[in-house]
This record gives sequence, C-alpha cells and structure tokens, in this order.
Amino acid sequence: AGGRCSGSWRAMSPAYVPFLPQIRGSRARALPDRALVNCQYSSATFSTGERKRRPHGDRKSCEMGLQLRQTFEAAILTQLHPRSQIDIYVQVLQADGGTYAACVNAATLAVLDAGVPMRDFVCACSAGFVDSTALADLSHVEEAAGGPQLALALLPASGQIALLEMDARLHEDHLESVLEAAARAARDVHTLLDRVVRQHVREASVLLGD
Amino acid sequence: MAAGFKTVEPLEYYRRFLKENCRPDGRELGEFRTTTVNIGSISTADGSALVKLGNTTVICGIKAEFAAPPTDAPDKGYVVPNVDLPPLCSSRFRSGPPGEEAQVASQFIADVIENSQIIQKEDLCISPGKLSWVLYCDIICLDYDGNILDACTFALLAALKNVQLPEVTINEETGLAEVNLKKKSYLNIRTHPVATSFAVFDDTLLIVDPTGEEEHLATGTLTVVMDEEGKLCCLHKPGGSGLTGAKLQDCMSRAVTRHKEVKKLMDEVIKSMKPK
Repeated sequence: AGGRCSGSWRAMSPAYVPFLPQIRGSRARALPDRALVNCQYSSATFSTGERKRRPHGDRKSCEMGLQLRQTFEAAILTQLHPRSQIDIYVQVLQADGGTYAACVNAATLAVLDAGVPMRDFVCACSAGFVDSTALADLSHVEEAAGGPQLALALLPASGQIALLEMDARLHEDHLESVLEAAARAARDVHTLLDRVVRQHVREASVLLGD
Repeated sequence: MAAGFKTVEPLEYYRRFLKENCRPDGRELGEFRTTTVNIGSISTADGSALVKLGNTTVICGIKAEFAAPPTDAPDKGYVVPNVDLPPLCSSRFRSGPPGEEAQVASQFIADVIENSQIIQKEDLCISPGKLSWVLYCDIICLDYDGNILDACTFALLAALKNVQLPEVTINEETGLAEVNLKKKSYLNIRTHPVATSFAVFDDTLLIVDPTGEEEHLATGTLTVVMDEEGKLCCLHKPGGSGLTGAKLQDCMSRAVTRHKEVKKLMDEVIKSMKPK
C-alpha cells in the first residue's frame, strides 16, 4: 500500500512510499537478500527566497537523497522484503532551515503509513553553536549566519544515531553540548510523532469499525 | 464481495452505479467533490495557493523576478506557467523529465492565461524596453486523484490573487532598479477563469469532476474554461468519444454554475484572510 504524510515543520514535505514488492526498470539492481531503498529529494522552485531553477537532479538534491537513503537503510528492516524496492519521495514546499530534519521526520511517518516494517521511529533535528550556546532546530537565518551546524538522525528507543553530519569548525569540548541539544530535540519530536501516529491509528480503527 | 467485483470487472461495477444516476463515492453525476483552498501559506513565494478537490491536491507557488522585456513587445512582461506531476503524487509517474501529461497540463494552463487575459502583460512592465516582471507560476501536484486541470486552474487563479509585487523605480542616474519592499500592491486580475472537467462514459453519459479511477475507465474527457461574463476561454477535448452539440451545451451551462460556486469560495477565503 502507498503511504503519504505531510509534515509541517517549517519545511513542509510530503513523502510517498509506493507499493512494496515492485521493481522499477532495472531488475538487475534487485538485491537477493534485502530490499533496495531509493530516496529522491526534490525542492519546489518557490521553496527558497531566490527561485531555485533545478528542482531535482542537482548536486544538493542528490546528496540529500543519498543521506536520506543511508538514514532509512539503517532503520527499515530490509531483510523482510528481498528482491523488492521501496521508493521514498520527499518534496519540500517551503524551506526555512532544518530541511534534512523535516525530510527525515516526514519520511518516517510516510514509511509507517505505508506499513513498511521499521526498527524504530527516525527522528531528526539540527543544532548549532552560537555565542557559546548550543541551539536546537536552526532556522534559515541562523543557518546562514555561518556558525557550526549539526544534523542528527536518532532512533529514540535505543538512542542509536542513524546519521550525524556536521559543517564548519567546532571545538571538541563543545561537541557534547551540541549533540545533547540535538538529541533532546529529536526525542521531543519522537514524542510528538508517536502521539500523532497513535491518534491516527485510533481514528482509523474506529472508522474500520473495530 | 463488492471489492472483489470491483477488481475483476471495474467497468460493470461503475455501470451499476451509473444506472441509478449516482457514483460509488455517493456523488450525483453533476456534483463536484468538496473543494478547499488555502491561500498564502508559503511565505517564501510571492503568492501561493493550495487547492484540494476531494483527494486531488495541487499547490501553486508564484515567484516574481526581473527580466528584460521581449524585443518584439517592449511594454510587456512574462507569465511562465509550469505544471509538475512528480512520482510523489501517483505511482503512474516516473522520475525524470516531464511526461506527456505534465506537458499537456502546462500547455493548457499557458493557453488559459493567454486566452482569458487573466492579467494584462502590460501591467507587468516596469520600464518599457528595459525592465519588466516575469511571474514564474509553478504548480505541483501533491496527490493525484483525477481532474488535475480544474485544480491547477483554480490554484493558479487563487495564487495570482495573492501575489503582491513591490514598487520598483528606476534610478535616473545609475539606471539601476530600486525595489521598495515596504510598498507592495496586488496584481490587477481582470478575469477569473474557472475550469470544469467532464468524463464521458460509454460514449453517452457525462459525469462531472472524475476521480482517478473514473478517468481511467472513461472513453473521453472534456474541459471547459469559463469566465464570469459567461465567455468561453478555452475548450479542451483531446480526442475520445464524440459528443453532440446539445451535450456540449449542457456542459457549458454546468460550467457556468461551477464558476459561481468557485468564485464564491475564493471571495470568502480572501475576505477571511487577515491583511498583513
């Protein structure tokens, strides 16, 4: 089944996961023991302050797609669906900082909606370091200020980090506090996502007449 | 039992409903799905609108940029529409260059803008021969459940009503443009074209606002674009089963009623928006 979700997290991104055991095009790429995860990131031309000419296919979109794929390969139980492909499409409608985090959170919900088995939620948040203070969830203005930025994707139950990426220079003494700020924010996101999913399941089961 | 019948014989399943003059989702043959519109939700765009027609969801974002006016029309600006049907909205679309349906939709929107004179291109000119506005209208489909053209036209209209362009003056000495972001004005929207789409079943029956499944089973489609004075802006009938003149007239009267419904909805939404 397909699943879709729209996360409004200052960067709205609907993610869509289509039918599970489906091979598109290259049968040769099918893996014999697990599912292939394919992520595509696309940002609308009107999503940023300056009009973006190439919505997908440029370097940043490819890099983002790759990061998302790596994140979800860590979380999805790919061994349960060999020789098939899972496509995750993320579309950013408005970007105001923290796009990677918003994409991951939206894609988590979409994958859950599609019924694809996952180890745990994947919750992400960005963090930075300005004026000796660790800040969580940077906005576009804060990102553009040029300080160090960290993107963290967490599997909350086990506390395992699925992806961690950092830009610019940061002294190792400060790394602990910035990581802590990002992890705390990611856990807050997890509480929110968990509540939303449970409510949705409750509503859906009422509609089905259980 | 009904679900099994639907999978095996979808056309027969539909015919049973159509005989009773209704459709599987409970609508009558001439009834539209619930339409909702949200204007101005994207702050990075100069104008935006999100339109939901049942499950079909379409978002239009407009960005304004400067450009030199065309040499053969130095007092005109540009309006550049583009419809994007990403694999996100439906499993029938692949990623890559725009497919046939997206290109047809883009061309349709361009024709509607041109024919209905929704904005005069002269209004977009800042300084004849030197500088003018170009409005990039990007329409992205987020969920495809049939009747894309109606949703796109409505989204475009709503977004254009939301666009605010800052005042631009050309500095006499330097020849550069000075943008005054504090003083913004709305576009002058001259007409309000509204599209109404029909699907033809079994060469005879016309239903309004087809869903994805209905479009798939239909033997032909028709889209009528009307503006408020009852003037026909565009008629799009890409092949399919033939229609008599009388049926066409029925469609046009339905389009006139639809225009009133849509205009009322849009006026309500715009009135309810708090001024910035």
